[in-house]
This record gives sequence, structure tokens and C-alpha cells, in this order.
Amino acid sequence: MRGRAGWFFTAPAAVLFAVFFGYPLVASLVQSFQTDADGETVWAGFDNYTRLFQDPLVGRSLVNIALILAVQVPLMLVIALGLAQVLNLSWLRFRSGYRVAYFLPAVTTLVAYAVVFRVLLNTDSGLLNQILGTHIDWLNDPTMARVALIGSITWRWTGYNMVILLAGLQAIPKEQYEAAAIDGAGSLRTYVSVIVPQLRPVLLFCLITSTIGTLQLFDESFVLTSGGPDNATLTPVLYLYENGFQQLDFGYAAAIAWLVVALTGLLSLVQFRALRTKS
Amino acid sequence: MTLTRRHTLSLTALGLLGAAAGCASGSPKKSTKQATEGKELTGTVTVWSWDVAATALKRLGPEFTAKHPKVKIEITDIGYDNAYDKITIGLKSGSGLADVLTVETDHMQTYAAQFPTGFLDLTSVASSMKADFDPSKWAASSDKDGKLFSLPWDSGTAALFYRTDLFATAGIDPKSIATWDDLITAGKTILARTGAKLLVSDVSNGAGPVPTLMQQQGAGYFNAAGDITLDSPATLAAIDIVKRLNDAGLILNVKGWDALVSANKDGKVACAPSGVWWAGTLATEMPELSGKLGVMPLPAVTAGGGRTANNGGSTLAVPGQSKNPDAAWAFVRFCLADVANQVSMMKAEGLFPAYLPALRDPYFDAPQKFFGDAPIYQMFREQTSKIPTITYTDDYAKAGDLLDSVVPGVLLRGKDPKSELKSAAAQLAGQTKRKLA
Amino acid sequence: MKRLAHLPLLVGAVVSLFPFYWMIVAATHRTRDLLHSPPPFLPGDQLFENLRRLEETVGFSRVTLNTVGLTVVYTALSSVISAMCGYGLAKFRFRGRGLLLAVLLATMMIPFQVLLVPLFQMMANVGWIDTYQAVILPFLANSFGIFLMRQAFLDFPDELIEAGRLDGCSEARIFYRIVLPAARPQLAAVVIFTFISQWSAFIWPLLMLNSEDKYTIPVALSRMIGQSRVDYSGLMLGAFIATLPIMAVFLAFQKQFVSGLLGGSVKG
Repeated sequence: MRGRAGWFFTAPAAVLFAVFFGYPLVASLVQSFQTDADGETVWAGFDNYTRLFQDPLVGRSLVNIALILAVQVPLMLVIALGLAQVLNLSWLRFRSGYRVAYFLPAVTTLVAYAVVFRVLLNTDSGLLNQILGTHIDWLNDPTMARVALIGSITWRWTGYNMVILLAGLQAIPKEQYEAAAIDGAGSLRTYVSVIVPQLRPVLLFCLITSTIGTLQLFDESFVLTSGGPDNATLTPVLYLYENGFQQLDFGYAAAIAWLVVALTGLLSLVQFRALRTKS
Repeated sequence: MTLTRRHTLSLTALGLLGAAAGCASGSPKKSTKQATEGKELTGTVTVWSWDVAATALKRLGPEFTAKHPKVKIEITDIGYDNAYDKITIGLKSGSGLADVLTVETDHMQTYAAQFPTGFLDLTSVASSMKADFDPSKWAASSDKDGKLFSLPWDSGTAALFYRTDLFATAGIDPKSIATWDDLITAGKTILARTGAKLLVSDVSNGAGPVPTLMQQQGAGYFNAAGDITLDSPATLAAIDIVKRLNDAGLILNVKGWDALVSANKDGKVACAPSGVWWAGTLATEMPELSGKLGVMPLPAVTAGGGRTANNGGSTLAVPGQSKNPDAAWAFVRFCLADVANQVSMMKAEGLFPAYLPALRDPYFDAPQKFFGDAPIYQMFREQTSKIPTITYTDDYAKAGDLLDSVVPGVLLRGKDPKSELKSAAAQLAGQTKRKLA
Repeated sequence: MKRLAHLPLLVGAVVSLFPFYWMIVAATHRTRDLLHSPPPFLPGDQLFENLRRLEETVGFSRVTLNTVGLTVVYTALSSVISAMCGYGLAKFRFRGRGLLLAVLLATMMIPFQVLLVPLFQMMANVGWIDTYQAVILPFLANSFGIFLMRQAFLDFPDELIEAGRLDGCSEARIFYRIVLPAARPQLAAVVIFTFISQWSAFIWPLLMLNSEDKYTIPVALSRMIGQSRVDYSGLMLGAFIATLPIMAVFLAFQKQFVSGLLGGSVKG
């Protein structure tokens, strides 16, 4: 009886996944063991996978996203959490306005995003350099390009996570977070000890989805830096795209994809184990 | 596989491949005529294109239908930005493509080699027209066995666009520039006297003008046999020039189309080595510069060397999966192998014909107001037939990616070009199983 | 103190919104006047001219209607599927549950780009290319939304569900009348995210749609990027207008977050 109800609720999703993901997932796995020779698709054994380990650009792209994972994801989640908390305060005026303002970056059309950021980051005439009074070569210097990338990802996705956290805050009894709301230094500790544990499942959700998002990072580095300069912002999925869609090496692209899957799975598992609620 | 075979058969039955099947001694032109004009064409022909190319085809569609009333032409503008994702996936899937595809010249050999049955072999129906097309384009549209897979549309004949006012202020006579060395020397003077750099290039992220400089010397990433020449002396010479340009502070390193256009518009650079289509961009986006621009052939790498290359330009191809290949080919031929239509596309959309007979039209001798009444297209016409032919192969994109890593390394991090190229070539050989030349 | 809180918030909001301001600036100039370095920083007077061109070149009103229809249908179906599946996974033990969870995770972890070719082949085989069902069906089941909803239902007290059963409610009724209302904040978030994902989807609609009159906004706007000219002002205008409905949807649904009473009452 219960089992049947479980099926009833999950059936639509299960059927859709079976039809539209089952085959593509298997096909991509099969493809990762194949290669093209003179226009014919032939078996390649583990060649594509062994090539992963010899390819310096794969290593480079992994280092790049490890950096983003270590710096950008915590930075973004801390800001998002702070914002969610503040924009949930009942006495704060213009909350809706702020929420929209912080959320809007997540909905920018990619082409518009690219143009705007190139204009802002232009070395000679960009607004950012003018405000900072600097002459930083944001997109052509490997280190600064990474900084620019991290900044622009944070700009785009902080509000998104803020919304998830805002929704999560609603599950916490009102009295508790009203009591813990920041009105002075003393209650910051209350906040950390009372609210954060309650938010743990939602935080874990944000952390895992941001981790997945980082491992699959494509849009920002594709439109802002095309992986450059000197591959400093190359990501595994951008490299996958270059191999598959530009160099037409679909077998190798599929192998990169499954490397990403393996790494994502591993990292998510670690995070899940480390942050799981005890109950 | 079955799909491919079915289409080959139907084509043979239609007589399109008749010449290839052994009737080569007869006049191939005649057999084409029978195939395309002897039988009444019917059905729908879908076409994918983008930008002004789509505009041109949308204009010519009704004219074709007027001649072939039973054929319906449907043009879709698929946008340029991700057009190749759409085309690649259709080729890889063996289905879902339009009957006619716009494919840029430098993509064609990669596609043809990777998907040998992906495109209709046009050799038998088009080979009689070979002499009428820009030879470098024809070669780029053919595979290593000489089979033709697409018909050249517009040429990307490269030349040096320059600001006559900045040259005058700096006291440089454009006629004195014959080699890149001359241009570098002149560039230093221009920079000192006007503050303008020489040219825009995104050399922190790619090879910049290196491929153009290579092609000027008749060199590509591969030789005619398909062996790797990525580390050839021609590549070294090209990188050396770009390095000297960069070291002298003559390259404005910016990214993106908007930045390229604005740098030229605002006079931050004095030159733009580019394809003939750049004239259209100039006229549209910078009308205020009218009369301040000139064009000359590219400076040679070494004195007396080649002064042009190919930069851009497209072709039209018929995918093997097309269900209406006869009408599709007839439409391609109508648009591209026709003097009046090619000239009209030059006049209306600025697409410079790769079809050489069209270049004899008086329009190409006319003075161009924007360029101070200089008849610039005469020069482009003259250079078009001189564009060196290079071999692209299906590993063109791979080789290009490697070069895109080598050049920033040399320019920004002072790496040794010779050893960098050598290791890139070795890496390419490992990935592609090709020999080093 | 309370007033002071606005200062950092305002600074942050300006940073967040500045690119949108610049989109307005770009949308009100001619492209050729925009292509200066530095570009203009005050709005121009070409708004209506740009609007006219946007309508003329890509049929903007038509593609907007297409996008609205497609997105509304997608959001409604997908949100319901996410909520149902999330509930099923959170509150029921059944055979295949583990497998379903694994598949859900896998779909989130695999780079979407590698699934495009097989998915395209499927659509071509059933002859669905250039149809709207091909655009929305493959992504109707959305792991992200399902997990978000599952998370919301995990904390829901089993006793309330049991009470509903004792009252003789059907499982569907329990879900709809008792469980779902308690998850309104999360459901609102899922609605917003689903709406955005379809509204701004680009690659898949581009691959599926072959007729200009069926295009969605992002696909149509990509037509303004050419090889040798890019219509930046039209592009920015289109992109800006495209964010307006999202803003409306967000404002409409974010109210749900404020109704914290719900979350509290369930716990308490």
C-alpha cells in the first residue's frame, strides 16, 4: 500500500528520467569507450580514459576549478547566508526590493552578461579600474583573470543561493530566529549556535549544488575568457566542449564528462558525510 | 549507416552521381543539366544560415521559386554564435539537418573528414566549375582525395585596412610598406607621434594573426600529404613577427567583437589586418570615419612574399541526409555559381564573391566613397586568385587549439617558440596519429 | 542602527544592479554609438528605434509569446512533478527508491553537454524536431527541484500524515491538502527556479527549433550576433525586456518566503 503510493508520487519523474536520461546516460558511457577513425566509430578500450591522465590540460582545468571550489564557493555561501538572514528580518523595510535586486543577476541572459562584464573589466576604460584607480589587466593576466572569474560567478549566483536559504529559514520556528537575529555582537554567537545547525540540511543542499555547479562550470569561463589567458580559467566542461563540439572528438569528450561525474560524486559524498544531520 | 546508403542509392538513380560512376568521359556539365533542369524539381528545401548571409538567401529564395515554381525554399537564421553546435550535432546524429547548410571555409575539411558520408559529394556536378572559383576556397572545400563537399560562397581575402589620417599625422607613406618589418618600424613612429597602437589582437588567449601570417607564406598546420607542419620555419617566422609587434607595444590586447570594433572606431589602433568583409563592418559601425580609411595588400613576411591570406568566408553544403538533394543543389548552384546573383549579394549584403566570373562585374572597379573614392575592390579581386592554398584536414581545430596555447606562452611568459612548437607538434602527432613532416 | 543596515545593503544592491543599468544605457543608444571605449554611461534616446528594429528583425513580440507559453506550461508541469517526486522520496519506502535516487544524482552530476547528441538522436527518431514537446519534455523531471522538495518534506511530521490517513483521506488528498501547503516557501522557490531555467534556456531550444516563428527569446536574440556585425543595442534591449517577466514572477512568489508562520506552525 505504502509502496504503491510511493510509486504513484514518483512515477511521473521516474518515467521521464527513464526515457530521457536513461538512454543518453548509457550512450555517453558507451561513447567514452569509442573513438572515431576515418569517419567510422570504433572501440577504443580505455584509451580515452588513459589519455585523461596524460593530458596536461585536464590537470590544469582541475586545478582551476579546485581553486574556485576552495575560494569562490565558501565566499558565495557566506554572503548568501548573511543576505538571507538580513533580508528575512521582519522589521527591515524594502525587503522585497532588496531580494529582487540581489536575485536578478541569476537571470541575466548570457550574451548580455558577457558584454557587460567585458565593458566593466576593460583595462583602459573599464569602470572597475576607474573606481579602483588601478590599471589591472583583468582578462589578460592569468591571476587577475581568475579573480575576475571568481568575482563574476559570485555576482551571478549569490542571490540564487540566497533564495534557497531564505526558503530554508522558513522551516525554523519564528521565535528561535527572532531571538537570534543580529542586533549586537553578543547574539552572533547565538546565531551561529542556534540557526546554523537548523539550516544544516539547506546549507548542505546549497553546498552540494554549488559544488556540482563549479565542477560543471562552463558559461562564465566560456563567455568571459574562453578559458584563457594561457588556460588559467579553463574548466573541465569547457575542455569537454572544445574536444567534443569543436574538435569533434566525442569519445574523449565523453570520458571527460565521466571524470567530472566521478569527481562530483566523490566530493558530494564527502560533503554529505561531513555535514549530514545526526538524526 | 543505412541512412547513408539509401541516399547514395537514390542519388545514383537520379543520375547525379552518374559521372562518377563511369560516365566521366561524357560532359559532366551536361549530365548535371539533365539532373537539375531536365526533370522538374519539387518539394521543400530548408536552408540554415545566419547574419547577412541569411538575408541574402531570403532575398534570392523567391527568385529561385520563380524559376522552379514547385520548389518551396525555407530559410532559417540559426544565429552565428552557436550555429556549429547545431550543425555538428545533426551530423553526428545523422539526422535533423536542413537541406542546405552554411559552413565557413575553415570548418569544411574538419567536417568532411570526420563525417565522410555527412555531405553530398558534389564533385561530379561541380567539378566543371572549378576554374571559376577562388582556388584556395575550392581546395578548402575538398577533402584529401579531391572530392568536393561544398560550394564556395564568399571569399575572405585578407588585406591591411589602415587609417590614412593617422598615417599622415605620423608622416608615414602607406606605399612605403611592403613587409611586416616595414610595418613594425612604421608602427613605432605612429605610436610615438599619435599614441595609436598598430592593431587589435587577443594574443593572451590565442594565436592572434599567426595563422594569417603562416598562410601568407603558403603554410598551414599540415602539408598537402596531411603531415604535421605546425613547427615549420613559417610558423616560427610568423610568431617572431607577432612577438616583435607585441614587444614594441604595438598590439592592443582586447577580447571580444565589441572591443575590436570600438578600438578601431576610436582610433586606438591604426591598422586592421582583416578579410574583405571588414569593409562592411567599417561602413556600418563607423560612418564617421568615412574618407579616413585605406586598404593595401597585407605586408609580406619576407620581401617579395605573398601578400594575402584567407580570413573568413563561407560555403554552402548539402548534407547527405537531405531528402531533397536535387533541389537543394539546384538552389546552391543558383545562388553561388551565377554572376548576377553573386554580384547582387556583393552589392546588397557585402558578400565578396568567391565566384571569379562575378568579380569581372564593373561594380568591382567602382570608386568606394567610404574609402576616399579608392576602387578598393580592384585590389581584392587581384589578390583573391593569389590566396595561397593550404590543407586544413580534420585535425585543424586540434592544431589550432595547440597553437592558441603556444603563442600566449611565448608572448606573455617568454617561452622559447622553437621548443614550444616542437612539443606542440609532438603532442598533436600523439593525439592524431599523424606523422611529423 | 536599523537605518544603518541599509547602507551596506544599498551598496550591494548597486553592485548587483549596475549591469542592468548598463543594459538600459545600451538599449537606448545606436549600436554604433555604443561601440566606443569607454562606452556611454547615460541613457540615450534610441529606445523606440531599437524596439522597432528588435520587432522587425527577430519578431520579438512573437517569440516573447512563444516563450511565455512554453515557460508557463513547463513550470506548472515540472513543479508538480518535482513536488510529487520529492514527497514520494521523502516519506515512502518502496522498491526502486534507491535506484531512483541514484539516477537523480547522476543526472545532476553529468555535464549536460555530453547528453546532447543522444538526446537529439532520440528526438530525431520520433520526428519531434522543431516541436515544443521536444523542447520541454526531456527536462520536465528536474533533479534540482526534486531534491529541494524532498528536503522540504523530510522534516514534515509523520504524525500529521498518519492523522490524515486515519481520517480516511486518500494519499493524493493528504499530499495536496496537508503536506503541500506546509512546503509553500520551498515550492515557491522551485517555481521560480523552474521558470527561470526554461525562460532562459538556450542551447536545447536552439538545437530543437528550426523555424524562426517558433523560436524562444534567447534563441531569437542569438540571431543578432553575426559574423561581421553584432547588434548590441538590440541585443541588450531584448535581454533587458526578457528579465522583466522574471522579476514579476519573483515578486509574486517571494511573498511566500515571508509567510514564516507556516514553517513555524508545522514545527510547533
